[in-house]
Amino acid sequence: MSKSVRSSRHNSRAGSSNSSSPSTPPRKRVKRCCRNFVTFMCTQLGVGALIVLYAIFGALSFMHIEREYIDETTDYVIKLRHNCAEKMWNITEKFNTFDRSEWQNNTIDILLEYQAEIATLIKNGYVGRTPEQIWSFPAALMFCLSVITMIGYGNMVPRTPWGKGFTVIYATFGIPLYILYFLNMGKVLARSFKFLYRSLHECAHERTIYDSHLEALENGSLSILQRKKIIVPSTACLWVIISYILTGTIMFANWEKWSFLNSFYFCMTSLCKIGFGDFVPGASLVTAADIEAASLKIKEDASADPEEIFNMQLITDQNSKLAINFFYMLVGMGLVSMCYNLMREAVRMKIKEIKEDTKLCLEDTRARFMGCCGTREYYDEDYY
Amino acid sequence: MSSRRSSFRKRQKPPFERFKDRCRQFTAFMFSNVGIILLVIFYTIGGAFIFQAIELFEYERLRTHKTVKRNFGDECLQEIWEITAQNISFYDNKYYKAKVNEILLKFQRGIAHQNLLDPEVDKQWSFSGAFLYSLTVITTIGYGNISPKSDWGKLVTILYAIIGMPLFLLYLSNIGDVLAKSFKWIYSKVCLCRICPGVARRRIIRERRKLRRLALSKALHDMESRRSSSSTSGSRSSNSSSSSYYSEETETSTQSMSALEIFEEENDSDIEREIRMNTDEITVPLMVCVIIMIRLDCVEWISTNKIKIKFCFKCIHSRSYILAGAILFSRWEEWDYLDGSYFCFISLSSIGFGDLVPGERVITADKDKVEVSFILCAVYLLLGMALIAMCFNLMQEQVIHNVRAIKRAFKSCFRCRR
Repeated sequence: MSKSVRSSRHNSRAGSSNSSSPSTPPRKRVKRCCRNFVTFMCTQLGVGALIVLYAIFGALSFMHIEREYIDETTDYVIKLRHNCAEKMWNITEKFNTFDRSEWQNNTIDILLEYQAEIATLIKNGYVGRTPEQIWSFPAALMFCLSVITMIGYGNMVPRTPWGKGFTVIYATFGIPLYILYFLNMGKVLARSFKFLYRSLHECAHERTIYDSHLEALENGSLSILQRKKIIVPSTACLWVIISYILTGTIMFANWEKWSFLNSFYFCMTSLCKIGFGDFVPGASLVTAADIEAASLKIKEDASADPEEIFNMQLITDQNSKLAINFFYMLVGMGLVSMCYNLMREAVRMKIKEIKEDTKLCLEDTRARFMGCCGTREYYDEDYY
Repeated sequence: MSSRRSSFRKRQKPPFERFKDRCRQFTAFMFSNVGIILLVIFYTIGGAFIFQAIELFEYERLRTHKTVKRNFGDECLQEIWEITAQNISFYDNKYYKAKVNEILLKFQRGIAHQNLLDPEVDKQWSFSGAFLYSLTVITTIGYGNISPKSDWGKLVTILYAIIGMPLFLLYLSNIGDVLAKSFKWIYSKVCLCRICPGVARRRIIRERRKLRRLALSKALHDMESRRSSSSTSGSRSSNSSSSSYYSEETETSTQSMSALEIFEEENDSDIEREIRMNTDEITVPLMVCVIIMIRLDCVEWISTNKIKIKFCFKCIHSRSYILAGAILFSRWEEWDYLDGSYFCFISLSSIGFGDLVPGERVITADKDKVEVSFILCAVYLLLGMALIAMCFNLMQEQVIHNVRAIKRAFKSCFRCRR
């Protein structure tokens, strides 16, 4: 800890006096550079890598735990269907086809019963896929991310008691880690963005700055001018966030064949950590049965028309895109934190300005009021 | 001295001004804390009305525009009838069953799609459902059991979240602060026996006595060491150094005596001030915070147990009037302890998977009827989040304290090595 403190002190000193002391021996400079690099790796990249490793570890253990789950509902559904068919056969045997109305009345009763049962099962989370199909590695990674970022899509949930307990433990350690990442990443990104903005700003106003420098040199107060603080306006942050969201929107709209509004909605709800889960890339509930059907179809008839097969493959290998989605989410969270950091500064400045303005205003009015009163008092005194 | 003087000055204030101060404090408190609670509640209620209106309007428009929903039951029945009519002559049991099975599979998929894509909108978006929805938006829980289906609903949700989330964060930080302060006060009064002044005074006196004893022993030790050193060094020239040694001894003795005098100066006002200072410095231990968090779980499953009983009755009642063939509402799966605490953790950490949802029983209830369980649930969420914020507040203090201590230890270590 003290080491990092010392190095950071070094860093700040180097930043402040870089231009003034170019005569330091090269060996020392290399050493300092190395130290800075190591601290950077340990603090910024280290946290990011820790998050990724933690997510991978979580994904592996969740896969291990959840695949143990014996899915009784799939067997139950098959049994239910067979039972239903059996009952229908019995009815057909009993009533024959001569009495149609009687046959229909009996059959529809059975069908409605069947429908009710299926609806109950779906409400309780029957998806129609085995745990092996659900808990593929990218999906498990996505699940871990949704836990530690507190998004919680809810398209896949742990079903075993061990899985539930592990989720709770995983979240207790993961959420503080994520918050650390969030704060750290925000700071780093804010600093770099500020640097970028400042350099751009200086580029744009080079001439005026040059002139002012000349003037300042003449006056001998260069240091004051250089120390002038540049605050990134909040609109710039908003533009960054909006552009990021728009790229995400276009990306998801292309991949998932969603409408633009839907993918925009998905990006917003994800980055705001709400995470309804009605739109989830890759493994959404709506396309779950479709994926299964598509994979079956590809296996069964390879002789279908090529365009259809291409579409089917697009649906089936969506799992690989989840990894990209993972990084999109992580970077997006960092950007949100960056904007939070920068905007807080801007807002603070604005609030200070407003405070000063109101103070001035109040003082002005008070002075006026006092002036009025004072004159009246003066008059009163004069009168009496 | 300055504080005493200021308190003296305060005491001299006229009663009218004191009353004015109180009033000002009270209004500030009302505006800052109660105001923000009310703001959050009204914002949520407003959001509930807006979402309900939007979604129901959209639903009505869709229902009038589009054709009636496909009736999967009738289609299935027709197909089965055809197969039966065709195959009745063969009496081939196996073939018939396979065919029926296929049709049933198709039927099942249809039901699944219908269930997942458009559940009963007007039943979902009852007032309580919409209220819970807007609450999950601004608290960023997002269960996802209810989600907007219309385009306008989605857009309004985004706008609503952008405004609502900072508001809720403000609420959290504000209420968390207030709760942390009050909890700290209670903790200091109850757990450390600060409530009865005698105990505290006795404790401080005991501590002081200990300090005094330490100082005395230290002074004695110094004196002895000095005496020994002086005796060893002064063995050669004892006559010359004797005078100086005596003077030294007298000095040290006067020092120790002055220290004792300082300690004996204590009086009531001093002790009181120290008590007040101690209460400010108290940090609630981490364990207490963790225990509070776990207690929250317990409270939740107790409440769910209560609601469970109520719900069973409702379930039986509702079963009678729901038409078979419509989407049936599931029986409320009875939560065991693990599920209850799991649900609670998932909600309060704002993850919100939505596999276990408190709103389920709310939605199944009659439309336009505010249920007790629903109010309980909303209050539970709002209060629970605030309590979590309080715990974080307290824990942060403790952690900062610990980190500072560790830093100091490190520094001293380094100094030693050098």
